[in-house]
Amino acid sequence: MTPVPSAIEEWLHSCIRCGNCKYVFKEYSPSCPSGESFNFETYFASGRLWIAHGIRNGELDWDSSLIDPIFACTTCGACEVQCLAPHRENILEVIEELRALAVKELGPLPEHRKFAERIGENHNPYGAPHHSRELAKAHNLPLSASVVYFIGCTSNYREEEIRDSTISLLKKAGVDFTIVDEYCCGSPLLRTGQLSLTSALAEHNQKVIEATGAQRVVTSCSGCYRTLARDYSRMGIKLNAEIMHISQYIRELLRSGRLAAHSIPHRIQVTYHDPCHLGRHMNEYDAPRDVLQQLPITFTEISTEDGIRENAWCCGAGGGCKSAYPDWSRETARIRLNHAQRTGAGVLVSSCPFCKRVLSDAQENDSVEILDLSELVDRLT
Amino acid sequence: MDLKSQFQQIVGEQHVADGAGERYVYSFDMTENPSKEPLMVVMPSTVEEVQNIIRLANETRTPLVPFVTGQNVGGLTIPQVEGAVIVDLKRMDRILEVDEEAMYMLVEPGVTFGDVKKYLEKHFPSLRYTYPLAPPFTSVMANALLQGLCDLSTMHGSMSDFINGLEAVLPNGDIVRVGSGIMGEENWFGRYPLPDLVGLFSGWQGMTGIVTKISLKLWPKKKAMTHAALFTFGEQQTTDLLKRIVREGIIEDADCQSLSIVKMLMGVAPPVTPHRGEPDYGTVLILSANSEIELNEKYRQLENLVELSKKDEPRNLLIDWGTVTKLMGEQANAWIDFPSDAFKVLAQYDGLTWVGTYIHPKYWGAALEGGRRIVEKYGFELMAFLKPMHMLHFAEFKFIIRFPKDPATLERVRRCNEELLDLALGLKAIPYKTPVWSARRLQQFADPAFFKLLRDLKKLLDPNNIMNPGRLDL
Repeated sequence: MTPVPSAIEEWLHSCIRCGNCKYVFKEYSPSCPSGESFNFETYFASGRLWIAHGIRNGELDWDSSLIDPIFACTTCGACEVQCLAPHRENILEVIEELRALAVKELGPLPEHRKFAERIGENHNPYGAPHHSRELAKAHNLPLSASVVYFIGCTSNYREEEIRDSTISLLKKAGVDFTIVDEYCCGSPLLRTGQLSLTSALAEHNQKVIEATGAQRVVTSCSGCYRTLARDYSRMGIKLNAEIMHISQYIRELLRSGRLAAHSIPHRIQVTYHDPCHLGRHMNEYDAPRDVLQQLPITFTEISTEDGIRENAWCCGAGGGCKSAYPDWSRETARIRLNHAQRTGAGVLVSSCPFCKRVLSDAQENDSVEILDLSELVDRLT
Repeated sequence: MDLKSQFQQIVGEQHVADGAGERYVYSFDMTENPSKEPLMVVMPSTVEEVQNIIRLANETRTPLVPFVTGQNVGGLTIPQVEGAVIVDLKRMDRILEVDEEAMYMLVEPGVTFGDVKKYLEKHFPSLRYTYPLAPPFTSVMANALLQGLCDLSTMHGSMSDFINGLEAVLPNGDIVRVGSGIMGEENWFGRYPLPDLVGLFSGWQGMTGIVTKISLKLWPKKKAMTHAALFTFGEQQTTDLLKRIVREGIIEDADCQSLSIVKMLMGVAPPVTPHRGEPDYGTVLILSANSEIELNEKYRQLENLVELSKKDEPRNLLIDWGTVTKLMGEQANAWIDFPSDAFKVLAQYDGLTWVGTYIHPKYWGAALEGGRRIVEKYGFELMAFLKPMHMLHFAEFKFIIRFPKDPATLERVRRCNEELLDLALGLKAIPYKTPVWSARRLQQFADPAFFKLLRDLKKLLDPNNIMNPGRLDL
């Protein structure tokens, strides 16, 4: 594994706490779910950067009271979009490095430790019986194929409709694909400072993917997408295949005519929530929208005031917050649901199973149907 | 019951923090001013909570330090004594009233310039407020109470001149109003007649109470507006021309800056150094009018003044904003738009400071020239800034230093700022948003009777000295 340079060290003399990270630039609306809820300066990006500086400079000693400011952050990356300082593209790296140091000094949060243990035992953070290849057998999928569908743990063990819809539409399009004996990609561990298992997970996934001879890996999960495409290479693990998010692949299938939308009598009104890991982390905003434009629906964007694309309000699930800070995570999701409801749309689509999960958990009535993009595509093709 | 529990009873458990992170992060700001950890941070959301916090502080002799975003560039929210409690007011963030007819707004401490801009554009598009040389996420109230400047200062003076009145919780917990708001709600039109008690709070850096509402003047939005950039040479010639332009009353605002700042905006990497033959200063001029005809006439007069100046300095150059945009691209807008975009040049490192002063017009040239020599001596980038204030009655001048906060640079910054301050004081300038070290030096130059009066008033209003003790070195 290639040693990762220290982001804390690199940006030690950066951030005057100007506050630009706190709000959407030019819109002047809140950007940081953590700061907006907990209010103290320590809960904004600038506060976290300075905790990292303080620790590094020896001006701040490790103390359990640092846990919440360090971990009550979805690592949504909105701060990086708003920041105008030179370190703007590295804020999350600093936070994740700080988390790894915190785990080393104080230990992981109990909820995070739990899913690390489950990954160690069952290869997924939910502790569900591991069954990926059994699924391949059930669907009569080959050992070798040109495309690997990397399901991701949330789709495979909690939001199975996403997995099933994706398999369905891949079959409809006649894609030569298979499912591998995938382990958790490592994202939940990377985001929560628990690094000890991540290399082994990445090496396993590299091995099973490359054994198929696939040229492409397609994943339902924005978190897996970011991890496979970005974190693995930072860890020195280069997958010998193109990594795609399912929205990008569906767009290609629709454009090539391998998938075609069928007409329906009544167009439903749909709005879209940008997942942080797909949007801000991987700069993919257009693929899901291009897909939606090709479906027989009426698409209405969430307002710019409420935040879309790089300024989208986070769903509240990421960074280990859904498990460690469930109330706040739901509160954050409820704000996003309100944004969606203001559009008048009956369906809120996202393209990340974790977004779907927290948004569904937060919904107190069924005023909006929450779907993953692949579910909607499967219904309409 | 311990102090923390008592504060928790007032504002709720989740709005009191005494963790290591909070004590550390609230112990310093961007400047070179020495840090000191507070005991804890409390975040009230109502006037009643502020009252109860102050009453408790009085009973327990707990020092209180008001805070909103901490971006005053003067170390003004850093506690000066042990055991202080930071009162972070950012949860009090309501725009309570906008009176379109009398053109004022009544706001709480946590309302930011960004909030105001957004609110007025949506609900009162015929009115405008203003912005400071700061990110838009700074407190409008704090900047007004600290007598900061803004993009209407060349016309209307310091932001404290915009205050119509305010409501404050005194150090004994009582609520008081000053200005026309004493007659009741929806009446915050001005601060006269009667004794002007806004002065009990303006410039006091939170030593006389916590202001919970402030009424601030709004302005009609002009129908026509344009900008120009003026490039000039030499301190005396630059300030002479600037004075002639301001005195004509044809511009709304002027920001005179070292050319280095313009180069920073254009993306020149640090350290930005001057080159032989290039202009010394770039001044942004804002012109506004009620019609294009009036605007064109103002611009014509401006061109005439610059042409006349070429008799002494033929290289002086006035460039219209269309041309500036072609030269600078998007950064041209960063220069004139809500200035957080331009502020990015100040966010290069983890340190930012300045010695900012208000100064008589006759000393402008000497201040810029003397300051340049000092900054060059200490090896910092030239980042002079001068804004004519209140037509031509005075100016704000400062030398900005952006710096990495390593120990050696911090020491160099301190020595440079001390020399800059001595230069300014020698020119009878008065430091604004005055850090403690600067106030201490000021007291060696200024009339001692003034500071005695400040001490007497402070003692009268705050006998237990709970409100931000130690500020202004009183």
